[in-house]
Amino acid sequence: MVKLAILLGVPIAMLATVASLGIVVVDVREGGPDGSRIVVPVPLVFAQAALAIAPMAAPVDKLRLPHEAAEHMGLAREVLEALAAAPDGELVRVEEKDQQVVITKQGRTLEVRVTGKRENVTVNVPLQLVLEALPGPDGRIRTAALAGALSSLRFTDLVEVHDGNDHVRVWVW
Amino acid sequence: MRKSIQAGLGLSALLATAAAPVAAQTAMPWLHVRVEEAKQATRVAVNLPLSVVEAVLRASPAMIEKHGRIHLGREHGVKLHDLRRVWKELAAVGDAELVSVESEDGNVKVQRKGDVVQIFVDQKPKAGKDGKKPKGGEQVKVEVPVSLVDALLSGEGDEANIEAAVAELSKRRGDIVRVQDDDSHVRVWIDEQNTQAPAGK
Repeated sequence: MVKLAILLGVPIAMLATVASLGIVVVDVREGGPDGSRIVVPVPLVFAQAALAIAPMAAPVDKLRLPHEAAEHMGLAREVLEALAAAPDGELVRVEEKDQQVVITKQGRTLEVRVTGKRENVTVNVPLQLVLEALPGPDGRIRTAALAGALSSLRFTDLVEVHDGNDHVRVWVW
Repeated sequence: MRKSIQAGLGLSALLATAAAPVAAQTAMPWLHVRVEEAKQATRVAVNLPLSVVEAVLRASPAMIEKHGRIHLGREHGVKLHDLRRVWKELAAVGDAELVSVESEDGNVKVQRKGDVVQIFVDQKPKAGKDGKKPKGGEQVKVEVPVSLVDALLSGEGDEANIEAAVAELSKRRGDIVRVQDDDSHVRVWIDEQNTQAPAGK
């Protein structure tokens, strides 16, 4: 009985631990009567581990932005920090005949919503994650900081796409 | 001409402001840009907290240096201390028509009136060929507060003081730029709302 409890308990505890650290869920639903549904759960800890070991696995120049891009990082950081500290509101609205794009700041998230005749796309961009992902003035991508920032994504809807009857949703649980 | 005027206005929009009354400084000022193109049925609305505009201006590389000052050295063809001297002399003159150009293509007028410098461009429409409707007419109105120019020129040597200009800008409310032509309408203004009122307001 004790053996059985250990045999079941250890994997369950491990699963619970992994789940408690967060899971990225990719949910794809095809429309129509024969449409299939694919759900792919990826433990956040895997992504964090991959990011943490990336500097060891990848050559240094692969984790560095080109100089031309790196020199604008200071400006990007200042703007993003100002945006994060700014009050909420609708920042951009573009209305065309068949399409509408709206970018809204809500808390520390930028919501980009594209509404078309057939497609509706919503992307939520956590400013904290972008700030952490932003390379320093030397252009080096700080993968460890990025890995740490991923945990701030929990319980966030990242992407939602409605295309006709098809539906894709990516969120972090 | 339209494109160059609009491009110029883009920069003016960030640096200029309206003759509207100075509002309370407690609420966060927002810079609004609205572009409407009737033919394409396109509407673009941008709302930015002035703090973000300030961050952009403060941190923009090349032109703007660390402490919010634009250097206008020989490479740009203008010496800021000369501009400062001319501005001081103009201030002493008071209200006056500074520039007036009248031509077949249109009229341009720059005048100082009270606490603003007003720029009017009235481009006449070109006659349409084969009895078609005249096209290309455009009216541009820009109002730059004197205090904003004072703030911009408050630096020393060949430096424009962007920080002082943005601080001045944050006190202002109302229209900054309006451009109206055959098929488009551009409006730039500052208020304390984080959204835009319906078109035409």
